[in-house]
Amino acid sequence: MTGSSRPRRIIGPIALLTGGLLFALIAASTFGAAAVSWRAALAGDPTARAVLFDIRLPRALLAALIGAALAVAGVTFQTLLRNPLADPFILGVSGGAACGAAVSTALGWARIPGLVSVVAFLGALAATAAVFLLARRREYTDPTRLLLSGLVLNALFSAVILIAFALSPQSDLAAAVRWMMGTLFGATWSDVALLGVFVAVSMAILMTIANDVRMFAFGVDDAKARGVDVERIQRIGFVVSSIVTGAAVAVSGIIGFVGLLVPHLIRLIWRRDFRVLLPLSALGGATLLVLADLASRVALSSSELPVGAFTAILGVPFFLSLLRRSR
Amino acid sequence: MLDVRGVSFAYDGARGPGSPARPDRLESRSHVAVREVTVVFERTQLVALTGPNGSGKSTLLKLIARVLAPQSGEIIFEQRNVRDWPAKEYARRVGYLPQDPDPAFPMRAIDVVVSGRAPFLGRFEWESDADYEEAERALALCDAGDLADRYLDEMSGGERKRVFLARVLAAHPRLVLLDEPLTALDLSHVQQFSALLRDIVDRTGTTVLYATHDLNFAAAYCDRMLVMRGGSLALDGTPSAVMRPEVVRELFGFEARSVDGWLVPRVQPQTPSGRIP
Repeated sequence: MTGSSRPRRIIGPIALLTGGLLFALIAASTFGAAAVSWRAALAGDPTARAVLFDIRLPRALLAALIGAALAVAGVTFQTLLRNPLADPFILGVSGGAACGAAVSTALGWARIPGLVSVVAFLGALAATAAVFLLARRREYTDPTRLLLSGLVLNALFSAVILIAFALSPQSDLAAAVRWMMGTLFGATWSDVALLGVFVAVSMAILMTIANDVRMFAFGVDDAKARGVDVERIQRIGFVVSSIVTGAAVAVSGIIGFVGLLVPHLIRLIWRRDFRVLLPLSALGGATLLVLADLASRVALSSSELPVGAFTAILGVPFFLSLLRRSR
Repeated sequence: MLDVRGVSFAYDGARGPGSPARPDRLESRSHVAVREVTVVFERTQLVALTGPNGSGKSTLLKLIARVLAPQSGEIIFEQRNVRDWPAKEYARRVGYLPQDPDPAFPMRAIDVVVSGRAPFLGRFEWESDADYEEAERALALCDAGDLADRYLDEMSGGERKRVFLARVLAAHPRLVLLDEPLTALDLSHVQQFSALLRDIVDRTGTTVLYATHDLNFAAAYCDRMLVMRGGSLALDGTPSAVMRPEVVRELFGFEARSVDGWLVPRVQPQTPSGRIP
């Protein structure tokens, strides 16, 4: 048969997306409200250095890590659940995190730096654990029950969030709402380092099970008959994806759409299995969120717009044009 | 080659779809799908697994494929309990095709077939050129060599079935288990596919066990037929032992008469009418 039957080369797409990501990172560091230049920063100008190295670069890198985290979780959930509508928030991660953030705001904890993020992360983990316990029937975890439990718990969390907001001090509400919309404002190098560790470890674990995860394509019975330890792979995949999502949500709030959209984008361009989709989704998600964050910063000179809105504004037309062109 | 010894399996719907019942509750509140089945399979045989809907055919295939574990009894493959085989080692030797598999996302035939080589790959290993050659050989064996670069979702039912059969055969299994591979095929494709199974058994020496409702085609091509009823193995014999009106009435509740070795339903003869335009 022809060589085209064996599309194993992954270097091309990875190089392309890495180039795109580097371009996006440079653009995101170069443009912004303050007019500073790389040349001035490299020449030692303190203002330029501060803007570029302490504000824009960590923010761009944090956007890249969050985009990667959400896209990686999305592609893992979609593959394991065999459901194209699954996203990183499907197991109640976002609801749990938002709940933690809203309740801690209502308690007036928003004034202690970092505390809301910690509570949000704990909320995400607690929600995931609750969904698993609900879906688990003795030794079996049923994907449909998992999805339903996540959906229902998210609804419950929405109710708690509304109540918490009603009880919150007026002065703290703006920050809470901003968090719910997702924001990268005030990103620091320590955020970058912390999330970087989460993303790197998650990617490493997921790559080691990727050869088994891809076998879910034909269903659980088929995967079992091919020698895949279905229960174990599902558990590892769900837990790792939920934790990395929780970490991303804790630093940035809820940024929708990246985790749902990016894996589909990648799949429309390169029709490949999970082993390829995983690294490509990470790079694609990173690039998309860096560009979306840049757009949200520069669209209006007076204020920042929600980055989650721009992931949709940038992603949807691209996605729809691909969808129209594909069979 | 494979001995099924007194194997039983019950589902417990209260524990979620497809969940096995606890062994101590086999009879009390669960649905027994396979009951005390004992059967031996030898090399190089084409065996049809028949029986009415709900008689336990799919469950028996899943038990042999290791998708389900028996709650009592044991299955021995090549002198070793199936339970004790390392999962991937077993998957290299016993191939299973679920009823109507469907990839969640679009895939090309060659990628589907080469994924049948997965049990041979290490954790970080990719399919080699040799794996692709195996996949192409399996496609050719299944009369589907020209489908390699086509997407599954643009194929007819018959083409898809051939691709999935190739996927199972790409691992060179000694035992092939097919769950109703002939459903949704027209008569001519049922015949082609049955002949293909016969041909594969004769050429590769593998044993194929396939669930089917088409007694006539099974009898025409198989070495042996199994009939299940109510979870038990009701009959295990040659096609001529099964294809008798009294057997079919008893086991399938189907009134038939035998015409030239074929079973024909007993219905009021109709006056032919109509024309081919």
